[in-house]
Amino acid sequence: MAETEKPKDVIRASEIDPKFKYELLKMHGSEKILRCFQCGTCTSDCPVARFSDTYRPRTIIRMAQLGLRDRVLNSETLWLCAACFTCTDRCPQGVEVASVIRVLRNLAAEKGIVPAVFKEQANSILTSGYAYNIPELKIKKREAQGLPPLPRGNPESLRKTLKGIKFFDTIQKGSSSS
Amino acid sequence: MSQTGNSEGGELRIGVFICHCGLNIAGTLDIKELVEYAKTLPDVVYVKDNRYTCADPGQEEIRKAIKDYKLNRVVVAACSPRMHEVTFRRTVSEAGLNPFLFEMANIREFSSWCHPSTPKEATERAKDTIRMAVAKARLLMPLQTIEVPVTNKALVIGGGIAGMNTALDLAEMGFKVYLLEKGESIGGHMAALDKTFPTLDCSICIEGPKMVDVGRHPNIELIANADLLKVDGYVGNFRVKIRRNPRYVLEDKCTGCGECKDVCPIEYPNEWDMYLGTRKAISVPFDQAVPLIYTINRDYCIECYKCVDICGERQAIDFNQKPEEIEIEVGAIIVATGFDIYLPYDMPLLGYGKYPNVITSMEFERLILAAGPTGGKVIRASDGQKPHSVAFIQCVGSRDKNKYPYCSNYCCMYTLKHVVQLKEKYKQDVEVYVFYMDMRSPGKGYEEFYDRAREQGVNFIRGRVSRIDEDPETHNLTIHAEDANLGMPIEVEAEMVVLATASIPKKGSDELARILNLTRGADGFFMESHPKLKPLDAPTDGIFLAGACQGLKDIPYSVSQGCGAASRAATVISKPTWKIEPIIAVVDASKCKNVTGKCGICAERCPYGSIKIEPNKPAQVITASCHGCGTCVAECPQDAITQMHFTDAQILAQIRAALEKDPEDKILAFLCNWCSYAGADLAGTSRFEYPPTIRAIRVMCSGRVDRDFILEALRLGAGMVLVAACHLPYDCHYISGNWKMKARMDALAPMLQKLGMSPERFRVEYVSAAEGVHFAELIREIEAQKQALGKERIKAENAKLRPFIENMLKRKKQT
Repeated sequence: MAETEKPKDVIRASEIDPKFKYELLKMHGSEKILRCFQCGTCTSDCPVARFSDTYRPRTIIRMAQLGLRDRVLNSETLWLCAACFTCTDRCPQGVEVASVIRVLRNLAAEKGIVPAVFKEQANSILTSGYAYNIPELKIKKREAQGLPPLPRGNPESLRKTLKGIKFFDTIQKGSSSS
Repeated sequence: MSQTGNSEGGELRIGVFICHCGLNIAGTLDIKELVEYAKTLPDVVYVKDNRYTCADPGQEEIRKAIKDYKLNRVVVAACSPRMHEVTFRRTVSEAGLNPFLFEMANIREFSSWCHPSTPKEATERAKDTIRMAVAKARLLMPLQTIEVPVTNKALVIGGGIAGMNTALDLAEMGFKVYLLEKGESIGGHMAALDKTFPTLDCSICIEGPKMVDVGRHPNIELIANADLLKVDGYVGNFRVKIRRNPRYVLEDKCTGCGECKDVCPIEYPNEWDMYLGTRKAISVPFDQAVPLIYTINRDYCIECYKCVDICGERQAIDFNQKPEEIEIEVGAIIVATGFDIYLPYDMPLLGYGKYPNVITSMEFERLILAAGPTGGKVIRASDGQKPHSVAFIQCVGSRDKNKYPYCSNYCCMYTLKHVVQLKEKYKQDVEVYVFYMDMRSPGKGYEEFYDRAREQGVNFIRGRVSRIDEDPETHNLTIHAEDANLGMPIEVEAEMVVLATASIPKKGSDELARILNLTRGADGFFMESHPKLKPLDAPTDGIFLAGACQGLKDIPYSVSQGCGAASRAATVISKPTWKIEPIIAVVDASKCKNVTGKCGICAERCPYGSIKIEPNKPAQVITASCHGCGTCVAECPQDAITQMHFTDAQILAQIRAALEKDPEDKILAFLCNWCSYAGADLAGTSRFEYPPTIRAIRVMCSGRVDRDFILEALRLGAGMVLVAACHLPYDCHYISGNWKMKARMDALAPMLQKLGMSPERFRVEYVSAAEGVHFAELIREIEAQKQALGKERIKAENAKLRPFIENMLKRKKQT
């Protein structure tokens, strides 16, 4: 996935959705988003931001606060968070930054905005039980070394659970719109 | 008058006491040599060394010697006079000697402590220091502490929240207080506010009762609707002239019933409502006005006399009322004149005055106030509709080098108040934006208030607004800024814009500064005597500052300062008399040029305005307000002014004593008492070594350093000359003595250079009391420069200079 994204050069009034922040206030994880005063502690301690030119948790919170709904939900950097929760731990205002990002990812996924690599991963888990496809060669090598076989996943019961929480509708929407 | 000023009129008998200070002095200096040397000095009849002169036995020895040897001058060679001058003055006065017949030679901080590795040279410096002290002691004159009576009343100028608290506190202490208010009612800006941050309690509900207290306190005489015309006098004794402006309603007859207002047919825009509402031609500015006396605005009145008819038998209305001048006498004056609010008509990019829906915070205040012109409804001027989005713009005019470079202190907080009020009133029905550069909420409970605003969903956008555009159809506004947190330009649309405009010095501050001789800082607010330790005192004794006139501050701070100023003023007016150090300027009427011609240079240069000039009369020093800097003494072209205890003769005697031997090797330094002398003391106490070739003369202020002192030093062959002062611009303890000295020396230096003197030989430097290192480095640098020039070159330059200097000094009597 390309890490860089080209921002539109000006934030126009029409782009701002003032209601967005109130929606976030009602969601689990982003209740305290309005407390953020942009000190930058989250970004300073973020292990991903250290290796990225564009990923700034502070900026994501800022866009969300301001109501730049489309801009933040379409932001590719939204998907770079490794969910280590350092930001949440360090925030002086008690904003659960990593959780806010999770909320925003969920909102994006509902709109079908999910990077292809994440979708592939999800499919792989659902079909094989593994996050990625393990080549036959590797399995043979394991056997030759006398290692025990890998544990089998249980994609069927997982699928049942996910069906219950309407995960597939979301994914479906995603693949149809992307 | 005898030069000695000896009370017995007879011979001079000087006693010199040399202190060992344990080993502090004796460990470096050769005390025996100092004793023997002191004995050789003219008029010295008794010399004694003590282990600790300041201890009881040491002091007793001084007292005993004064009696046994009939001493009429005492010199103590010990530590810095800043340490023990007061102690020894008391000692000699206990023995019956006038305390001003005492002089101190600083041989500890200025010798043993700063030259420990060169004891021989240090002892030489100490010898010279003692010789300089004896030379001055021979010319000392007895002085009497001056006492002036004190009028136990105070005048408070300005009836805002600060001035009201000052008046109430002084009145409660039992003093009579005059409270002068320019406007029709006391209350100030606070009375026009809706709520107060961070508690959101109603402003007039908490201020109203205070206003009533002021109005009916038996010790407070409220003089409203009046102007200050003139103030004469000095601490404890001010004469104040005030003009009461006519209300055309008699104060003693008006009952405040308001029947006149009901029948009055004329309305005009009410300044109190930021002109958003109206008032009648006969009215009070607001219902809670104190004093509750109606006023007729003759600019609008059509003289229909309906008010006269309805007032009837009460006969309170008098169309023939004239301005009335009154004079009062007070011992202290408290200035609490407050501030004005900037209206940004001259910032066209923000559209104030052009777009109807762009208003100031004070206008917003009147809109949201329930008793205001709209009954508490926030509505747009363009269509009378409630706005669904409001943008607040911070720092309009503030923090702007082209307008007002300072921070106006409370705008962040009142904007937070406004946004919280809006959000609490209209909830999610209104979107609120705040454009700010820095959000400043440093007071008690203030940060929590900022949290509250954020949690209510106010959009804070960090970025200064560059321009506002209006849609001519809808009259909605587009605000252009950068969202610095996103690093992108942003355009926000709002239906109303509120500008948090700068608060600025009160109109008329210039004139008030002139009347009271106050100084104003670069920002235009009145300067306090010391920013840290005397924040409530004006530089002139007996005048104090309270509230925003001294610098912008919010209500709790204004109240604290008002109460503080009351207690400061009480330190003056609670005394029957006021004591003044006699180290002041005295004019010799026979020499003053103003008698025959026009001069007045002294009056113009006096930092305190303590010199009165009348045509064909000698300049007159107002003793009680003279602070004894000596600037006028140095400035007087006729040498007609003398500073007691720092006379020309005394200082010249010190210069001559300092340069008696090998003048070319010496650095002669004039140090002001408060900063540079203290800085040199610190170099000593910190044991920073510097060359022992320096000879220092203490003056109270660098402003005292006469041009002639420099000339005399060079005439005598001084190697290097240094004048050290408090730092520019504001460190001078006499307001501006250092500036006056600088102007004088800036004129002198090029002249000396033209005559062939190397520029580095005469220097003006600034050393603070904390800059011991700087002082030591400075002297090292000057010594190096002196050595680079070489003795021969200095001698040659001086020989070339001498005839010119002698010519310049001709008029100076060689004392």
